Amino acid sequence: MIEAQGLSKVYGSTTAVDGVTFTVRPGVVTGFLGPNGAGKSTTMRMIMGLDRPSGGSVTVNGRPYVRHRSPLTEVGALLEARAVHPGRTARAHLRALAATHGLADRRVDEVVELTGLGSVARKRVGGFSLGMGQRLGIAVALLGDPRTLVLDEPVNGLDPEGVLWVRHLARRLAAEGRTVFLSSHLMTEMALTADHVIVIGRGRILADAPVRDVVEAVSRRAVTVRTPGPSVLRSALEHAGATITVPDLVHDGTLEVTGLDAAAVGEIALTAGVALHELTPVASTLEDAYLELTADAVEYRTDDLAAAGSISPTTTTGDQP
Amino acid sequence: MSATTTAGPVGHRDDTTPDDARVTFGHALRSEWLKLWSLRSQWWGVALTVLLMAGLAVLMASALGAAAESPGMQQTMDADPRLAVPSGVVAVTFGYGFAQLTVAVLAVLTITGEYSSGTIRATFAAVPRRLQVLSAKLLVVAATTAMLAVVGLGAAWLATASMLSADGLALDPGDGEQLRALGGTVAYLVAVAALSFGIGALWRSTAAAIATAVGVLLVLPLLLQVLAGSAAWAQDVYAYLPTVAGERVIATGPTPDGLLAPGAGFALLAGYAVAVLAAAAVTARRRDA
Repeated sequence: MIEAQGLSKVYGSTTAVDGVTFTVRPGVVTGFLGPNGAGKSTTMRMIMGLDRPSGGSVTVNGRPYVRHRSPLTEVGALLEARAVHPGRTARAHLRALAATHGLADRRVDEVVELTGLGSVARKRVGGFSLGMGQRLGIAVALLGDPRTLVLDEPVNGLDPEGVLWVRHLARRLAAEGRTVFLSSHLMTEMALTADHVIVIGRGRILADAPVRDVVEAVSRRAVTVRTPGPSVLRSALEHAGATITVPDLVHDGTLEVTGLDAAAVGEIALTAGVALHELTPVASTLEDAYLELTADAVEYRTDDLAAAGSISPTTTTGDQP
Repeated sequence: MSATTTAGPVGHRDDTTPDDARVTFGHALRSEWLKLWSLRSQWWGVALTVLLMAGLAVLMASALGAAAESPGMQQTMDADPRLAVPSGVVAVTFGYGFAQLTVAVLAVLTITGEYSSGTIRATFAAVPRRLQVLSAKLLVVAATTAMLAVVGLGAAWLATASMLSADGLALDPGDGEQLRALGGTVAYLVAVAALSFGIGALWRSTAAAIATAVGVLLVLPLLLQVLAGSAAWAQDVYAYLPTVAGERVIATGPTPDGLLAPGAGFALLAGYAVAVLAAAAVTARRRDA
């Protein structure tokens, strides 16, 4: 369980994190989604007691991180890939960290095995690929068999097999009842891995809801319709309050409509006496939702968003490097 | 990755339960010890220092032998009481001037190497009390330096023993002054390591910290020595420089005019180290890692 209350971080005149409040619960994978520079890493460093908040507070499993007597068994973190002295071997790095808690070398061997580092564990980290460095970072995070995991961009640099492995690992850790908080700027990855998502942009929380709700709330529920009488249908739809987002571009009678669902479009077509050759609801993805959320301060202040209840729309001001 | 269908797949806390897994100062010390010796640069640095302490002692011993035999030198030595002393201890401890450089660089690297690579975040995540980390590192650096100094002096003594006794300059550990010079060499190098470690912890950047350490240890004394020819204040300040003051504990013979006594000189060097370490401790607690 991670609880942030009005957490802020200001660097000089730049506000990196602007009073965020959120709770990351055990038993589910919570995604932390935002473009680069949105404040994800800064927030995670504050969770880990590495950066001092300018305001507000954050606790992990009930107390500030630095107050834990055995922090590695409470929280395991991957904060930067390859944040290891290049001259040290992977195993030496893990052994030194295990020693801080008096963990046996056997636990080091376990996480080496678990992360598939067996063949390179005795090689120096300087020669590691980004993917290997990432696996080592995850091995560090798992070292203390922690109740909570904080993973900053865990799939960065991994090959497809590695991505799949992280996805399964995150889901398994959550299924074991642990708190799993992982950041990404890859929306598609988040849609596949996370149950719940916290979207951050310019230091503020833009959404905090189950993945599906975020998609539904922000989506432009669009319908693609193809008809031999596009101009008649178009004026009928617009009369009914719909918006034609994509007009008949290639002159085959295809329109994209928002503001009405497929059933309503079909009924309007029947009333207007226009035949339909195709009627397809276009499902929006988390990516669409994300782009819409982070596009601009004005754009994500939509009625849809506000109506979703669990999602708190916010405007942002100020600049982010 | 697949043999994990039963029990806790990611965790096996069979022999180390969460109850006894915790951070203690002893654990932090062990971690720092493992970190220090898991880098090749550390082994190279230590080996190089010991070799050069022995090699420079041999050079000095042969110079002393030659001087003892040259009649002209004999006169000069009789005229200057500082040169009249030469016992073998001058030769055996001679390598400290070089050793302090490698010791300073190794001490700086133990902390700045963590900042430059990002390891410091993993370290502080594992041991969130930063003063615990810094003191564990300092203790490991000090112990390593003391061991290195003892081994280096031992190698220097072994390498020069036959030459020195042939010239009637054999080391006499029963002599209080000689013993103080030998112990003083160890203490001096440990103090230099502590001071350099403090500089490293303050700067956090390898280049800046090494430049500062070398500047304070070597360049400043040279600069003031040059200035002392024309400015009286430079002569006064010179005596209070960290290395000039600290080196007094290694020197034998009567205290030259304007320089501190051995005990006072070393105390001043130790005081500089403590001051820098205190500043490093304060900033380490406040700054973002």
